Amino acid sequence: MKEVRTSRVTLYVDRANQQWVVLDTEGLFWVLPNVENAWEHRQPIFPTEETALELVPGHYKHLLDLPFP
Amino acid sequence: MTAEQKRLDEARQHKAPWKKWGPYLSERQWGTVREDYSESGDAWDYFSHDQARSRAYRWGEDGLAGISDDQQRLCFAVALWNGKDPILKERLFGLTNSESNHGEDVKEYYFYLDSTPTHSYMKYLYKYPQAAYPYSNLVETNRRRTRLEFEYELLDTGVFDDQRYFDVFVEYAKVAPEDLLILITIHNRGPETAKLHVLPTLWFRNQWSWPSAESRPSLEQGQGGESWSVVKAVESHLGERYLYADGNASLLFTENETNTQRIFGVPNRTPYVKDSFHQYLIHGQEGAVNPEKKGTKVAAHYALSIEPGQSRTVRLRLSDLAPDQFKAKRGKANGPFVRFDGDFEARQKEADAFYAAVIPPSMNADQANVMRQALAGMLWSKQFYHYDVDRWLEERGSDPFKENRKQGPRNDNWHHMYNGDIISMPDKWEYPWYAAWDLAFHVIALNLVDPDFGKDQLKLMVRERYMHPNGQIPAYEWNFSDVNPPVHAWSTIFTYRLDQAQKGEGDREWLKSIFHKLLLNFTWWVNRKDRSGRNVFEGGFLGLDNIGVFDRSAPLPTGGYLEQADGTAWMCLFCENMLEIASALALTDPDYADMALKFVQHFLWIASSMTHLGGDMGMWDEEDGFFYDVLRLPNGQAQRLKVRSMVGLLPLCAATAFDGLAMEKYPEMRERLQHFLGTRPEICAAIHDPMKAGVANRRLASILDETKLRRVLSKMLDEREFLSEFGIRSLSRYHEEHPYVFRAGGQEYRVGYLPAESDTGMFGGNSNWRGPIWMPVNALIIRALLQYYAYFGNDFTVECPTGSGRRLNLFQVAEEITRRLANIFLKDKNGRRPVYGGSRLFQEDPHWRDLILFFEYFHGDNGAGLGANHQTGWTGIVARMLHLFATLKPDMLLEAGKKAYFERGASERTESQPAKR
Repeated sequence: MKEVRTSRVTLYVDRANQQWVVLDTEGLFWVLPNVENAWEHRQPIFPTEETALELVPGHYKHLLDLPFP
Repeated sequence: MTAEQKRLDEARQHKAPWKKWGPYLSERQWGTVREDYSESGDAWDYFSHDQARSRAYRWGEDGLAGISDDQQRLCFAVALWNGKDPILKERLFGLTNSESNHGEDVKEYYFYLDSTPTHSYMKYLYKYPQAAYPYSNLVETNRRRTRLEFEYELLDTGVFDDQRYFDVFVEYAKVAPEDLLILITIHNRGPETAKLHVLPTLWFRNQWSWPSAESRPSLEQGQGGESWSVVKAVESHLGERYLYADGNASLLFTENETNTQRIFGVPNRTPYVKDSFHQYLIHGQEGAVNPEKKGTKVAAHYALSIEPGQSRTVRLRLSDLAPDQFKAKRGKANGPFVRFDGDFEARQKEADAFYAAVIPPSMNADQANVMRQALAGMLWSKQFYHYDVDRWLEERGSDPFKENRKQGPRNDNWHHMYNGDIISMPDKWEYPWYAAWDLAFHVIALNLVDPDFGKDQLKLMVRERYMHPNGQIPAYEWNFSDVNPPVHAWSTIFTYRLDQAQKGEGDREWLKSIFHKLLLNFTWWVNRKDRSGRNVFEGGFLGLDNIGVFDRSAPLPTGGYLEQADGTAWMCLFCENMLEIASALALTDPDYADMALKFVQHFLWIASSMTHLGGDMGMWDEEDGFFYDVLRLPNGQAQRLKVRSMVGLLPLCAATAFDGLAMEKYPEMRERLQHFLGTRPEICAAIHDPMKAGVANRRLASILDETKLRRVLSKMLDEREFLSEFGIRSLSRYHEEHPYVFRAGGQEYRVGYLPAESDTGMFGGNSNWRGPIWMPVNALIIRALLQYYAYFGNDFTVECPTGSGRRLNLFQVAEEITRRLANIFLKDKNGRRPVYGGSRLFQEDPHWRDLILFFEYFHGDNGAGLGANHQTGWTGIVARMLHLFATLKPDMLLEAGKKAYFERGASERTESQPAKR
C-alpha cells in the first residue's frame, strides 16, 4: 500500500475504473462517486503500487466541489 | 477630425468605452504554457488541438475570427462545418513543435483585412476547403520530412484544387461601444453547389469551474421576432447582453465545460459539454444539446447551400439593447436588423476616412494596401492575455510559499506576476503570448493609428504585475527569465516624441513613470549581465536564436563565457535612449540633468570597452573591419568567434544624434562632461568623439568612429555579404562558401549561410537567424542610418551597393534599404509579390493575390516569407518605414533634426485625401 503524507490535497483520475480519486492532507485516498456533493459521498480506497493514478490539475478540485482551497 | 479619431479621443477621455470589445480572442489557447499542468512542462503535448474542442480552458479562450470584451468574459467566434470534416472547425489547426520539420506552424489560410483602432470596423477572411480537412495527412507528411526539406503546407495537399473552397468573410461594425453588428459573407469559389453549416457561437469563458468568486453566468433563448431569434446573456460584471440572429437559425445550447468522459475517462455529470455542437452535427447526437435552450455556450445554426460563384450572408448583432428596444415605434418598422446595412456602410466609410488620414497620399494603391493590411494585422493581433502565475504554480503544487512543494517546470520565480490585459501578440496562433522586445517594435507601428494603446503597452511591461522586483522585464511565458534585447527605452522615447508632436505637448508624467522603472531595468542589466564589471555584456541568445556557433544561452562546450558584441551594443543603445529621455525631462525638471550626464558617461564607458578592452582581443577586428563576440576561456585565453552576422552590425545601430538642448540649458553639464573627457582621453580614443559638432551643431553618440563606420557599412552594403535584394540579411552570404567552423571537445560546430529555414533544432528549430531578413533589426539599422545622416549630412557618402560605383548619402542608403524591404510585399514588374515565392495561387489568383501575409522572416535571397506566417507583430513595422519615407525629406531632417519626422507625420494626418479600402 502506498504511504503518503502531504501538506495539500491532490486530485487524481483512475482511468481504469473511471473515477476521481482524492488524496487528502492526512495522506488518505478517497474515491468520489459521480454525484452532486461528491465529497460527502466519498469512499476510502487503498491504492497499490499497481494502481495507475493520473494527476489532475489543482483547479479541478473546485469543479468537483471539494471543500479545500 | 475623422469619426474614428473622435472615438479614439472619447476612449482616452473615458467618455465612451470604444475599445471594450475587440479581437481579443486568441487563435490558439491550447498548447500554451499557461494551460500546461504537466510534470514535464511539455505544453504542446499536454493540451492538444484534439483536446481543445472538449476541454475547458483555464486562462483564456480561442476561436475563429473572434471577439470578446476586454476581460474576456463573453466571447464570440464563428464555427464551420462543410459536411465532410471529422472535426467541427471552431479553431485553427496547426502542427506542434515536434510534429513539424521546422517547428510549430498553423496550417490554415486566414487574413486580417481591416481594422480601425477602436475596432469600430473589422474584416477577416478565412478560406475553408470544401473537402475534408486533411489533418492526418499534414501531420504524417510533415513528420516524415527532414529539416533540410520545406514544410508541407495545406495548399500542397490539394484541398484547394479546382477552387473548391469557401471564402468566409467576417466583418464587425460598432453602432455604439457595446452594440456590434456582425456580418458573415460566404462565397462558394468552387464549380459546384456546396453545403456549409455556419455556427456563429457565443460563450462565456469558464471562470465558474475554477477557484474564484465568479458566479455562473447564463445564456438562454429569448422571445425573438418574426424573422430573428435572440439569446439573452447574463453575467455579474457585464450585466445583460443580447445576441440577435437574423433569419430562421435554430439555437443550440450547451455548457462550456470539460467533457470529462473524453478527457479523463470519467463519466460526465451532464451531457451538455464543450464539444456538444461537434457531437450534434458530426455524429448526429441530438441529445448533446440542451432542449431547455439554456447554457453557457450557444450557436445559431445556419445550414446553407451555395451555388457556384454565389454568396450568402448571415447577419447577427451582439448588443446591450434588449429586444423591447427594437419594437416598432409610431408605426415605423424597427428591429435589430432594420438599419444594419446602413450602419455597416457608415463604419466602412469611416474606416476609409481614417486610413486616408494615416496613409500618406503620395503612396500608390499597392503600397497603401500593404500598409493598411499591416496595420489591420497588428490591430487584429491584440489579445486578452491572462496568466496568474502564483495561482498557476499553486494549482500545480508548486506554490513557492508552501512546504514540500514541487519544483515548477518553469517561471518558478515569477510568482509575483498577474497578467490580465489586452496585449499586442507577435502572432495569435504561433506566438499567442507577449514577447517583451517584440512588443517594443509593435508599438512603433501601432502608434501610427493608436498612440494611446502604444503608451499603455509600454507602461504595462514595467508595472509591478509584470516587471520582476529585481528589475527584469519578463521575456515571454516559455521562460520569463530569458533575456531579450533592451529596446523598451527606444520605443518609449519614440512614442513620447510622436505624442508630443501630435498633441503639442508630451505626456511627461507617463515618460517619467516609465523612466523610473527603466532605471531599475538598466541596473538589473548592469548587475546581472556584466560578469566582470568591465562594461562588456553577455545576455545569451538575446532574441537571435541560432545566430551563434554555439547556443549562447547554454553553458559553452569550451567552458568560459562570451563577451557579446550584440549584448554590449544593446546596452550602448539603452544608454543613448535613457539619455534621450532624461534630456527631454531635464528641459523642465533639473533633477533629470544629472541623470542625463550619468547616461552620457555610462555610454562612453561601455562604448569604449567594446573597442578597447582586451587589447587585440576586443570585439573589434581591425583586419576584418567588423565586430565579433569574444570567447573568454577558463585558462585566460580569448578569441573572436568570426561569424559575420547581425551580432556585428548591432554596434552600428547604437547611434543617436542629439540636438544639445539640455546641454544648452545646463552649461554645467557640458563642463562636467568636458572635465570627464579631459581626464579620460583614452575613452574617446577609439570611438566617435561625442563633443565634435556635426550638422546644425548636433552631437553624435556612436560606438563607431567615421573610419569604423565606413568599414562596417562596406560589408553591410555588399550584395555578396549582407545586402540582399530584399533588405539586410541576418548573416553574411560570405559564409555560404566560407562556413565558420569551431572545434571543441572533439566536436565540430559550424555556421553556414542558410537563407531559408534552420537546419538545426536550436531554440526549437522554428526560427532562423543564419541568413534570412528580419524586419525589426532592419528597422534599427534604418533608424541608425538616419541618426548618422542627421549628424554627418550630405557630404558623407558611401558606395551602395558596395562596388557599384554609385555613391549615396546615408539618408539615401536608408531609403534604399526600405525600398528593398517593401519590395518583399509589393508587386514587382511582373505583378508578383516576392513574399509568396513560387505559390501560383497566391501570385495569380484574383481571390488570393492581394491578400498580404506578414511573415516572421524572409528568404535571404528571394524574399519569400518564412517562419510564422501571421507575425504581423514586428514585421508590421514595415508600415512605419513606408510612412517614414513617404513623409520625411532629407532636407527637413537636416534642418529640424528628428522632430521633423514626428511633426511632419502629425500634420500629414490632417491633410490627406480619402483612400480606397
